[in-house]
Formats: sequence, C-alpha cells, structure tokens
Amino acid sequence: MKNFDLIDRYFENILTPKEQLQFNNLLERDPEFKEEFEFQKDLKTAIAASQRDDLRATLQELEKKAGSKRFLPLPKKWLVAASLFLLVALGFWSVQNRFFPSNQALYVAHFEPYRNKVMPITRGSEVQSIAYKAFAAYESAEYHKAINLFSSVKDPKQDHILFYKAMCYLSLDKNEEAIEILTGLSAVPGTGDAGSDFSQQARWYLALAYLNQGEEKKAMSQFSLIAEQEQAVFKKEEAKEILSHLD
Amino acid sequence: MTSAGCHIGRSVSFYFLCCKMDNSEAKKIVDLLKQGDRRTLERIYLENRDGFIHFSKKYNIEECDAVDIYQDSILVLRENAVNGRLDGLKSNISTYLYAIGKYKIYHNFRVKSRIDLDHEIELPAENVDFDVNLYEDGLTKEQRIIRKCFEKLGERCQSVLRLFYYQGYNLDEIREILNYSNKKVLKSQKSRCIKQLRDLVNKEYEEL
Repeated sequence: MKNFDLIDRYFENILTPKEQLQFNNLLERDPEFKEEFEFQKDLKTAIAASQRDDLRATLQELEKKAGSKRFLPLPKKWLVAASLFLLVALGFWSVQNRFFPSNQALYVAHFEPYRNKVMPITRGSEVQSIAYKAFAAYESAEYHKAINLFSSVKDPKQDHILFYKAMCYLSLDKNEEAIEILTGLSAVPGTGDAGSDFSQQARWYLALAYLNQGEEKKAMSQFSLIAEQEQAVFKKEEAKEILSHLD
Repeated sequence: MTSAGCHIGRSVSFYFLCCKMDNSEAKKIVDLLKQGDRRTLERIYLENRDGFIHFSKKYNIEECDAVDIYQDSILVLRENAVNGRLDGLKSNISTYLYAIGKYKIYHNFRVKSRIDLDHEIELPAENVDFDVNLYEDGLTKEQRIIRKCFEKLGERCQSVLRLFYYQGYNLDEIREILNYSNKKVLKSQKSRCIKQLRDLVNKEYEEL
C-alpha cells in the first residue's frame, strides 16, 4: 500500500529522482502497481473529458445568449432576400405613386394656397387696416393669426374674406371648416364688392378639400363640374388629370 | 513577445507600465481559470467571440464553423491553464486564445489562401500544446466506462478526485479547499473514492 503513495506523488509532480527510479521499477515488475497506476491515469483522462463536455454545454448556452443579442442573427441569404424584396417593393411603390397616386398624394401635388390678389402688401405701407394685417399674415403663412384677423374685419361675410379664410383652414388641414365656407362660395356666383368672382376657385379648392378628407365621390363630382363647365377655365386641365387618376 | 496592449511608438515608461499591468492581469485570470471559475471563462468567451468570428471570415470560414473552432479554443485555453501551461504567460489571454484559434484554423482547414498564415500566426513562446484531444472518441473503452462511473459518484468524491486529477492541486491544497482536519483523513477519503469507483467499474464490466 505504501507504494501507492508513489502514484500520488507522481500525480502531484513531486517525485524525487530516486523515487522516480523506484516508480519505474515497480511499473515494470509489479502488475498490481501498474494496474493501479493505469487506472488512475485513465481516471484523469476521463475526468478531463467529463469537464470538457460540461464546459461545452455551458458554451452552447452562452452562444445562444450571444446569438440572440445580435442585431441581425439572420443568415446572409435571408438578408439578401430581404433587401431584394425591399427593392422590388420600393420600385412597385414608386410606380404605383407615379401612375396610381393616392388621394393624399394628389392633394399634396395640387394644393397651393391661392395667391393674395386682393390686397397687395407693400413694405412701409401707412394703411394698417385689419384686412391689411390679415392679408399680411396670410402672405407670411401665419394662418392662425390670419383667420382671427379675417374674422375681425368690418364685414367678414365678403366673398374674398371668406375665400382667403378658407385658404387658411385648408393650409392648416382643417378640411371641415374649409368645406363649409367653400361650399357656400362655389354655389353662388360672386357678388362680392371686391369685384372678383371666387366661385370657380372655391370649387377647385372644395374638390381638393374633399380629396384630402378622403371623400372621393364628392371630390369627383366637383372636379367633374370644373372639367365640364364650358365657361370655366380655372384649373380645368388639372381637374381632368386628377379625374383620370381617380377613375 | 510583446503584449497586445503595447504598441511601438508609445513612450518607454508607458510601455513598461502597460506590460506590467497586462501580465499581472493575465496571471489573475489564469489563476481563476485554474480554479474552474466559470464566470471568468464566460467573460473571456463573450469578449473575444465576435472578434474571432470576424477574423475567421478572412479564411472563408462559415460562422457556424468559426463558432465551433472558437469553442474548442476556449476548451483548450482552460485545459492549458489547468495543466499549468499558462503559468509563465507573457502575452495576454486574448492573444493566447487567438493563437490557439489560428492554429486550429490552420490544422482543421488546411487553409490554402494567399494569406501567409504561418507568417501571421505568432505563436506565443510559452509551452504550447494546442493539440489537446477534445473529443470523446479519443477515449479508450476503459476510460469511457470510468467516466460514466465517475459521474455516478457522490458530490464529495467527485470534488476530491477532480481537484486532484484534473485541476492539479496537491493533497495539502485540497485539504485546505475542502476543509479536512488533516491530510491523512483526506488521503483515506481519496482511497475510499477510488475504491468506490473501482466497484462501480467492475459492476459495469459484469453487466456487459
């Protein structure tokens, strides 16, 4: 049994040269000693294998974690497929936009606040009437302020005041308020003191307002009126174009 | 062999400072690896993983293969730490880990690329054994049976045997780690564990 201590010392790596000789001797001559040594050597190898598999399992778990943390854990093939799909979709989308624009796109493409043709705003003007201030606000795209001022003029029911107020509402995407005013204006041929007839313009903007609100049928009937009326020239061609998209 | 943290062109004092720090840092890590500290190993794994996989791409190695190689490299790293081969490590751990990985790429894939891999592999000067047999099929039939029976042993026996045969602690150290009153008690405990294991192994042979 004492000899087995040599085996321990062998594994501890502390055999003296003399012990090493004795160790080698026993290994050659003593089968029992040799068997014990071989067994312990196998045990060392076996434990190492067991430890490795343990660690391997741990690393697999870790790899799952590391993998899921990734931004794009997808294989390259998938990424290529996804970008191809995106390209095709984008192409389709732009073709569709070009030839089959949405109502919103049509609206955005055609809506432009009507220019101030009523009251020229000049720098240093002495006249500071409410109407003047209203148009000044309108020109500088201060639509909220303009609406308040348009409502405060002496006679806010005048066609041109109402019309530009409607422009403000449209610019602010307040379709309902705009539609209410524009419906009135488009129905009655202009009798305003400003001497201008806004009914044609009002109809055009009314049609656009319906379009923006998604009321396609109402928009179409207004655009049709513009396109078909013989005397009307304002935006006639554009109305026809929009109608062709809506059909 | 310079440490990866030291670049030419830095001031001399900084050079010494950073190398000194790197080495004590490396020694600490090696000690933790020897003790079987899982968290250290996990940290090393995660810190170097992406870099290694990116590196493997240079040799047209698919990511899944790169992960396998990387995991094997980590296993070898621990094995070599436990066997005391990293005791005098002069480079840092990452450098050593990469060296193992490069060696594995070279040997597993016989890379025939324009890149002169041999030139690129700067093997650390330390006592290197990258060829640790990592797979079960490397075990003999006897070893496989011993392994199976070892895993059936109680917690205490597994610890004693693992510390002694795998982690390379001597009996005095194990006595301390496992709180045995004296070395003799530990020695007889170890003998009992081996006897128990032998009995299990013999039973296994009888059943075959």
